[in-house]
Amino acid sequence: MNLILEKHALPDLLQSWRGNYDVYLPQKMERFSHFMPLTDNSVLVTHEPHNTRISPKALFLPMTEALVKFTRFGGYEDAQQVIQPRIIFAIRPCDAQAVQLLDTSFIQEAYTDPLWLERREKTITVGLGCHEPCQTGFCTTVGYGPFNKADLDVLLTDMGDAYLVETLSKAGEDCFQGLPCASDEFVEQALIVQRNAHDQMPVAFETENLKEKLEQNFNSDYWETVSQSCLGCGVCTFLCPTCFCFDIVDETQRRERVRNWDTCMFRTYSLEASGHNPRPSKVERTRQRLSHKFVYWLDQVNQIGCTGCGRCVRYCPVGLDIRAMLRQAQTLPFEVSHAG
Amino acid sequence: MPDLDAIKTEVRRLLADGVVEVVVAFKPGDTPLHPQPAFFHSPEEVDSLVHNGLCQNNLATFLTHLPKTKKVGMVVRGCENRSVNALIVEKQKSRENLYLLGVPCEGIIDWRKIVEHVGEAVLAVHENSDEVTVETREGQFNLSRNELLHASCLRCAHRNPISADILIGEPLPEGDPNLARVAVEEFESLTNEERYAWFQKEAERCIRCYACREACPMCYCTECFVDHIEPRWTESGATPAGMQGWHIVRAFHQTGRCTDCGACERACPMDIKMTYLTEKLNNDMRKKYAFEVGLDIQTQPPFATVTLDDKNRFSV
Amino acid sequence: MSQKPKIAFFQCQWCLYSPADQNWVDTQLPSNIHLTKTPCTGRINPLYVLNAVQGGADGVMISGCMPEQCHFKTGNMAARRQLEEFNDFLNHIGYEKERVRFVWLDLQDRGIIQKQLAQFEQDLEVLGPAKNLITRTKIAEGGLNA
Ligand code: SF4
Ligand code: SF4
Ligand code: SF4
Ligand code: SF4
Ligand code: SF4
Repeated sequence: MNLILEKHALPDLLQSWRGNYDVYLPQKMERFSHFMPLTDNSVLVTHEPHNTRISPKALFLPMTEALVKFTRFGGYEDAQQVIQPRIIFAIRPCDAQAVQLLDTSFIQEAYTDPLWLERREKTITVGLGCHEPCQTGFCTTVGYGPFNKADLDVLLTDMGDAYLVETLSKAGEDCFQGLPCASDEFVEQALIVQRNAHDQMPVAFETENLKEKLEQNFNSDYWETVSQSCLGCGVCTFLCPTCFCFDIVDETQRRERVRNWDTCMFRTYSLEASGHNPRPSKVERTRQRLSHKFVYWLDQVNQIGCTGCGRCVRYCPVGLDIRAMLRQAQTLPFEVSHAG
Repeated sequence: MPDLDAIKTEVRRLLADGVVEVVVAFKPGDTPLHPQPAFFHSPEEVDSLVHNGLCQNNLATFLTHLPKTKKVGMVVRGCENRSVNALIVEKQKSRENLYLLGVPCEGIIDWRKIVEHVGEAVLAVHENSDEVTVETREGQFNLSRNELLHASCLRCAHRNPISADILIGEPLPEGDPNLARVAVEEFESLTNEERYAWFQKEAERCIRCYACREACPMCYCTECFVDHIEPRWTESGATPAGMQGWHIVRAFHQTGRCTDCGACERACPMDIKMTYLTEKLNNDMRKKYAFEVGLDIQTQPPFATVTLDDKNRFSV
Repeated sequence: MSQKPKIAFFQCQWCLYSPADQNWVDTQLPSNIHLTKTPCTGRINPLYVLNAVQGGADGVMISGCMPEQCHFKTGNMAARRQLEEFNDFLNHIGYEKERVRFVWLDLQDRGIIQKQLAQFEQDLEVLGPAKNLITRTKIAEGGLNA
């Protein structure tokens, strides 16, 4: 269904959801925006850069969460976490796409993560398309786009004074009940906005044969070259909406077993108890990060594990740019495989 | 502004004559806002070398990434030179294996401030001593350089490299050594509650990515206290206790070692302020022990020495 | 304050007090005082102090030998440099300076440790329970507590 939402009516609509849902929306925190719960005087922040600094994956896989609480005398109980039904408002398409990608990892036949599942089931996502795409993002390059609808219950298109509201699920429709229908003309205009945004985005790198090139050059000097100035911090992976590694730790002082975000870029990530480290330097770690996104994801679910949100490009403290790294990878030699 | 050609000529000479095996400097990044640290191994590669106000890292941090015995050349500014000295004091490198090309420094430009002014779509940046000109799709913007400088650079007292093997360009007038003290005293004039509120606001935004640690030349421990599992020194997660513990101890471990280069703050993806912590410690080291980090390559930091005079230093 | 202040008390194992005092410390320490013995005052890492503070101590007391009487020559002095600064530093971020106390104890002085602890307890009662830096608290949904 296509509806019109006048911008001045937005605050009231948001407040009206508060009775039944926890509403999260990007709000200003210091010099950036962050998904925070709606309060009486929350202000929506959507200007540059479009994305919140921390991706909304944190709302599904918190940076730290308690799994189990220890009781005295050796017992334990589930860490009771009450998760309210909630609406995430103004999530960008790349971030929503990322959550869908992560489903393939957390919701599997063999094992489903109950906490992830519960949060997923209780969440309605209202997406906001990017009518003026950001500079560092490259969603179209990796096969998605500024108005990608994956995983959204509703997609909004900013049309100046009003939003075009495309409802994509029953739950989404219910949230926007009572709004006037959009005229065909209005929808037509919105489609032009969407198409223009899409066309504005340059191709950041070629994806054709990229997987084969990275795979076949596993032992190439290329990795040494692109990782030289890497510091081995957690910026690129912690901010990335599709990175999902975690570490489970017993916090004895809290009497809790918690899981924390972890990253392949840390030296302790693959360190074994014996002291041996199969990924001993930043060369292997950088190779893991890039290969996971552009090789292993494809092997496993046939999708690229990067949604082009641009966060790693923007905030890497040494200016390492994944787009440039992949452009360079495209110059590597490779052989066409005739097997398949 | 530094004479780029002179730097390149000297770097080429070092590599061609085999004075050093590698030179650590910067090269252009993929966007004008982010030049990258780079390692130059041959004279031919040197064409791409850059050195400008947007080079935000402290290159000394890469010294401990390289083998100790490797002959390394490095283009250093004031603070980088002092960090290198501090590393030599801590026996992480010997002076014989180093060749320092000193460049008097006019301060580092905080790229986030540029983005705040003109947005992300930056096509080119030109700078001189007073002004930074930013070209974007919307046009050209002239910004005052002073306003864009990182806080550490605004209060920097040692812009000129103090022990470089060669100084490229004329020395600049040194900064006012009182500025650093004033900044600390200003913070200290707040009440306990105000200071704690500020600390909480800053620290509790941390995502424990450790970019601050990795960007700092003095954080070279192979095993950081936060990586310890048993005993667990502070909570491992992004919990209030964990975040506060990390900030307190990371800064404290810098006592008598930090040069206030500000690289930690610039690396932080969450824009967290950290130098108000290390500056307090630096200030105390100056006050109590007349110690300033990195001024020579012999003097041990106060925590590495003890004298019997100490018995009169403390009351009780 | 209905409850007595919680005190974390660090003692170097070499600075034994007079036998009667040491016996009191080892066997009759009140339950609101938590004793940790270390091999030397110099071994008291600032992280111990932080852990006590974060874990909910209302005060931390560190006792060491008088200057020049350290079993390891300078352990007590080295500790003093670090711990004094650490206390200043905690104060810098808003923790009350009075909550961390150092005592250099003359071992001949009988009953000194009881007196010092009692005095500290009294002073802490005036300050009230510690609020800042006790942070073993709940985790915020979606991260970032600010
Ligand atoms: S953010 Fe940059 S420096 Fe840090 S791990 Fe990633 S690539 Fe390396
Ligand atoms: S790899 Fe970088 S651009 Fe791709 S999704 Fe992750 S943070 Fe975004
Ligand atoms: S701290 Fe001083 S020497 Fe270092 S970059 Fe800033 S102004 Fe230059
Ligand atoms: S703590 Fe920060 S300011 Fe100090 S030396 Fe390290 S990076 Fe530079
Ligand atoms: S860089 Fe910033 S977010 Fe990362 S650990 Fe340091 S203070 Fe925390």
